Amino acid sequence: MSGLHHMLVHFPLGFWALATLMILIGALLPGRMAELSRAALLPVLVLSLLAALVAIASGLLVWPIEASTSSPLARNHILTALWSLGVFSMLTVLVWRAGSTAFDGARRWVLLLLALIGISIFATTGTIGGHLVGATTQFSELLKLFGWDVYHTFFVPTWVIAVMVLIGIVCAVLGLKGRRAAL
Amino acid sequence: MARQDKTGILWLALGLPIALGLAWVTQGSGVIEDDPERNISIPDELNMPLQVQAAYNDERIFFRYRWPSERPHILHDVLVYENGDWVKKGSAVPGSNPDGLHEDRVAMMLDDGSVPDFARYGGYMTIGAGAAGFTDEAPEEVTKSMPGTRIDLGDWASRQAPETLQAQREAGYFLDLWHWRGHRSNPLNLSDDQWVGAERSGDAGRSPYTTNWDGDAGQPLWMLDPEVAGQAALRWEDIEAGRVDFDSPYFLAEDTAIDFDPNQDWQNGDVIPRRLVRQTEGSRGDITVLGEGRWNDGYWDVTLSRRLDTGNPLDDKILHDQGLYTAAFAVHRNATGGRWHLVSLPVSLGLGRDADLTAIPFQGRTPDWADDWKEVTLFYPGQVNWPLLVSRAHAGAPDIAEGTPVHARHSERQLAIYGVEMEFNDAIIRQWILTLIAGLIAMFGVVVALLPAFRNTSNNRKGEPS
Repeated sequence: MSGLHHMLVHFPLGFWALATLMILIGALLPGRMAELSRAALLPVLVLSLLAALVAIASGLLVWPIEASTSSPLARNHILTALWSLGVFSMLTVLVWRAGSTAFDGARRWVLLLLALIGISIFATTGTIGGHLVGATTQFSELLKLFGWDVYHTFFVPTWVIAVMVLIGIVCAVLGLKGRRAAL
Repeated sequence: MARQDKTGILWLALGLPIALGLAWVTQGSGVIEDDPERNISIPDELNMPLQVQAAYNDERIFFRYRWPSERPHILHDVLVYENGDWVKKGSAVPGSNPDGLHEDRVAMMLDDGSVPDFARYGGYMTIGAGAAGFTDEAPEEVTKSMPGTRIDLGDWASRQAPETLQAQREAGYFLDLWHWRGHRSNPLNLSDDQWVGAERSGDAGRSPYTTNWDGDAGQPLWMLDPEVAGQAALRWEDIEAGRVDFDSPYFLAEDTAIDFDPNQDWQNGDVIPRRLVRQTEGSRGDITVLGEGRWNDGYWDVTLSRRLDTGNPLDDKILHDQGLYTAAFAVHRNATGGRWHLVSLPVSLGLGRDADLTAIPFQGRTPDWADDWKEVTLFYPGQVNWPLLVSRAHAGAPDIAEGTPVHARHSERQLAIYGVEMEFNDAIIRQWILTLIAGLIAMFGVVVALLPAFRNTSNNRKGEPS
């Protein structure tokens, strides 16, 4: 399963990298290329999600689950993979929802922000995957420079977990209130 | 107005970088902390350097070790006079002894190829289930041992039959253990000589120390001879102030001790070492210190020596010119005992041939050391045992089954971090899952918030940005 996973992860990584590039071009550049990028973004995002689901499923089968959850590197790989999936799911939903107007006005900056967060997380996922197979990169040194050694499990204190959940709830409530106000 | 509201909603997108940014700056905190009740004490430094040199002549081999240490710990456990009682201080505790007592040590396990896994996994293979000092330590003292000496790897009591254990020993299935002790051997320029088979045992013969305690009388057996040492006991305030050094009468030996005199005018704070250092005999006395083992300017410098062929092949690994062997090192410093040492991965040792550590042949009685050291990185191993490493809970278990060496997969820095995390494995798994879920909830909340601002505002536009 390990070899299959290595092959399958190229698809979401490729699609996510392409989607990020398309968002950058669509948000920052004028002209035909930008138009094409905006128009083709949604299919690329949908394909990326499908590919990611298959890749993550195959990844969870590489080792017994007790081994994956006992390895700091594997734990980090799982967390960043699922967070990558989460961010690009957000992008997919928003682009699908807004359709051809996804890049209108300030929306483009939201897409750009999410894309940059997404590419940072999936680059980290790939880097950790490299560590897992013994192929390390300098990117992990960059992460270390900014405060996180990938050999340490990424976890936060309980109060931070509460704040993160609170942020999610508050955002959702404010959004729903805004939705009602807009109707 | 509604458009303004929706534009304002877009700012909620910042909720995600705020949540993830907070996670980034606080990651790794809140779980890992000392917990003596669970035998957990994490060293301040997880890695340290050890410098090693080796040389041999026709008869003997010499190993020189040099390692940094903030200050020397040349006292082990002691007896302190307090209001009529002799109170023991300096026992092993999780981490550093708070009184600064507990001797410094350097140890080396050695194999001649009879234990192939040792060359791949070093000391990891000697740590069984329930090892002493682990959070889940067994009621009985579980020492280092060889995995093949047990029928059930997870059961210390499931020893192979005595005749099987003897056959294993005769076949070389054991590790030689050189064990220099800063208090219990060094004062007489000796080293302990042990071996690891069904358990960690001393070689045959007389050990370099014995215990200075008369259990029936509740008092020491010996005291310092005032005529030789100049005093009958040390003083506790001198120990606390760090004034006890190599020039002090810091040890009891057969020629510096006399029978304990209970009628002496003992004062509160009088201190007598709880061990008596003595000359070794037999196989236990094969290893000696060349010159003096001394701490100076922040470094210990210790040279040990032994005959290449001790004549005790059931206790020692016999060494030969042009032979290739495996060694692994460990250092206790900062008043630590038990499992609170830093250890090395296995290192190949060649006598006159290329290896990680090449012993240089020489003529004469003592080697003329050049400034050419083998730098070995030691690491804190944490609570990782062999049954875990070969179980389904270790992703590398199939690699071990195939014989892939540990250094092909892990660095010393990585192993130290993993060793620490394994001490908090359950708590970290729980916190990691919650972190993962919290991140996804933050993402979900933010996307729900953004949905009103991402309604399709025109059915006819082609996506031209406004």
